Amino acid sequence: MRNNLIALLVFAVLAASPVAIGGYWTGQLTAYLVYGLLAMSLSLVWGYGGILCFGQAMFFGIGGYIMAVLTKGMILPELTSSYLGLIAAMAGSALFALALGYFLFAGRGISGAYLAIITLAMALVLERLMNNWYALGGYNGLLNVPPIKLNFFGASFELWDRMPTFYAVLAVVALVYFLVTWLLSSAYGLRLTAIRTHPDRLASLGYNVLTIRLSVFALSAAIAGLAGAIFVTLDGFASPTLIGFTLSTEALIWVAIGGKEMLLAAFLGAILTRTAESWLSEIFGDYWILILGIAFMISVVLLPKGLLATPLEKLTGSKRKKTR
Amino acid sequence: MSELIPIILDVSSYILILVLVALGLMIVFGMMGVINMAHGELFMIGAYVMVAAQNLGLPFLAGIILAPIIVGFLGLLIEAALIRHIYLRPLDTILATWGLSIALKQLVVLTFGPESHSVALPVDGSLELGAFSYPLYRLILMAASILLIGGTFWLFTRTDFGLLARAVIARPNTAASLGIDTRRMYRWSFVIGTALAGLAGALVAPIISVDPQMGLGYLVPGFLSILVGGAGPLAGVLVGGAVVGGVNNLLAVWISPVAALITVYIIAILIIRLKPEGIMGGRRAK
Repeated sequence: MRNNLIALLVFAVLAASPVAIGGYWTGQLTAYLVYGLLAMSLSLVWGYGGILCFGQAMFFGIGGYIMAVLTKGMILPELTSSYLGLIAAMAGSALFALALGYFLFAGRGISGAYLAIITLAMALVLERLMNNWYALGGYNGLLNVPPIKLNFFGASFELWDRMPTFYAVLAVVALVYFLVTWLLSSAYGLRLTAIRTHPDRLASLGYNVLTIRLSVFALSAAIAGLAGAIFVTLDGFASPTLIGFTLSTEALIWVAIGGKEMLLAAFLGAILTRTAESWLSEIFGDYWILILGIAFMISVVLLPKGLLATPLEKLTGSKRKKTR
Repeated sequence: MSELIPIILDVSSYILILVLVALGLMIVFGMMGVINMAHGELFMIGAYVMVAAQNLGLPFLAGIILAPIIVGFLGLLIEAALIRHIYLRPLDTILATWGLSIALKQLVVLTFGPESHSVALPVDGSLELGAFSYPLYRLILMAASILLIGGTFWLFTRTDFGLLARAVIARPNTAASLGIDTRRMYRWSFVIGTALAGLAGALVAPIISVDPQMGLGYLVPGFLSILVGGAGPLAGVLVGGAVVGGVNNLLAVWISPVAALITVYIIAILIIRLKPEGIMGGRRAK
C-alpha cells in the first residue's frame, strides 16, 4: 500500500502546483497530464501486457477525432454532448483495438519485433489517411472543437478557464490511475503477468490467452482514446499529428525513460520529459533532441526498468517479481 | 509501349535501391536478431557524405568510396558502444537503435541544417535509342546496385566468411561450440550491413533530395520487404523488395502516391500476418 501512498503524494503535489507555477504553466501542465494518461495506457499494454505497440498514438488520434466530430455536431447536430463524445471516443478506440488485435493475435499470432514493425506501419497508414481525408479536415485537421461541457443535475459548466480544466483533467487522470492500479492488483493483474512471461503455460492451465491479450489491448486503447478526446478539447483542434508516428514514438520514449513496468513511473516519465523539454529546449536549443536521443539510449541499455522506476521501486519497497 | 519503358526502369531502380537498403538490414536482423531502427539514418549519412564531398570539391567517385568507409566505421563504433551490450535483449535493440536514430538525425540537422540538399549528377547525358531516352546516371545506378547485390550474395554464399556467417545464422550455439567466434562474426556482419546502407545512400544521393528525414522513407519499406520476403534465405529480400517497391511505385504512377503507400503497407501487413515466415519461407524470428 506504500505504492498508493506515493501515488497519492504525487497527485497531491500536482494538485498544489498551480499555486507555484502560475497560469501559463498550469495550461501546459494540463496537456502534460493528458500525455501522462497516454503514457499510462502504453505502460499497461507494453509493460504489463507484454505487447510492444509502436503505434499507440493511433488510439489517441482515433479518440481525438471521434470527440471532435461528435461535439462539433458533424454527424448528429442535436447530439453534441461531451459525455457522449468521451464515451464514444473510448468505445471507438477500444473497438478498433479489438479488430486490430484479433487480426494480429488470433491463431498463430505475431509478437515481438514483427508486432513492433506492423504497428509502426499501421500508424503511418492512419496518419497518411487522415492527412488526405478531406471530410475530416485533411492536413489542416478539424478546428474549433468545443471545450468539454459538464452537466450535473441541469447545471452546466464549460471547461474553458485554466484552473477548472486543470483540476478536472487531474481528477480524471487520478481516477484512471487508481482504477487501473486496483485492476492490476486483482487476479486480472496476475493473469497479465502470466501472459507476459509464460503464455504457453497459461494456455495449458485452461485460460484463453487470446481473450486476455485482446482485453488488455482494448483497455489500453480506451484509455489512450480518452486521453485523445480530452486533448482535442484543450486546444480546440484535432490534426493528423495526433494519430501518427511522431507522437507514438514520443510516448514510447516517455514510457521507456520513466519505466514501462510501473504505471506511476510511466506517467511521471511523460510529465517530466515534457517539462524538461520545454525548459531545456530553451537552454540547449537544437541540442535538446540530441540529448533526449542519447538519454533514451542510455536508459534502455543501462536501466532497462526505467530511469524513474528504479528509484521509485526502492522508495515503495515493492519488489515486483523479476520476470525472466 | 515506349512510355511504359521509363516507368519500368524507374520502378526497377527504386526496387534495386530498396533491396540494397533491405539487404543490410537483413544481414543484421537475420544474423543477430537485432532490429536496427537507425539503418535509415545510416543510409541518410551515406547521402550526406556525398553532400560534404561535393562541398569540399572532391570528385564524385571519392564520395562513393568514402561513404561506405565512413558509415562502416560508424557501424563499428555503434556495435562496440551500443549493440554489443544488448545482443541478448532483442526487443531493447529496437528501442536503443531508435534513440540512436533520433540522435543521428539531430546531429545531421545541427551540422548541415534542416533544409534539403542536392548532389549534382556526375554524368549529365541520357541514353537515346530512337524515340526512347533515359538518364544515363540512373542506368549506371542500376548497374552498380545489381553488382553490389550480386557481390553480397557472392560473399554470403561462395566464400569462407559467408559459410561461417550462414552457420552462425542457422545455429548460433552449435557454431560457437565448434569454435567460430560468433561475436566477431556479429561485429563484421554489422559493419558490412551499415557500409551497404552508406553506399546505397551515396549512390542514390544525386537523384533524390537529401534531407534529415529521408531515412524513415526507406527504413519501413525495407523492413516490410524483409518480412514479406522471409527473413531466412537471402533471396527472400529480392522477392520482398520487388513486391513492396513494385506495388508502391506502380500504384503511385497509376493512382496516387498516397493510395499507393496505404495499399502497399496494408498488403505487406496482410502477407506478414498470414504468412509470417514470408513468401520464400525460412525460419521465423521470435
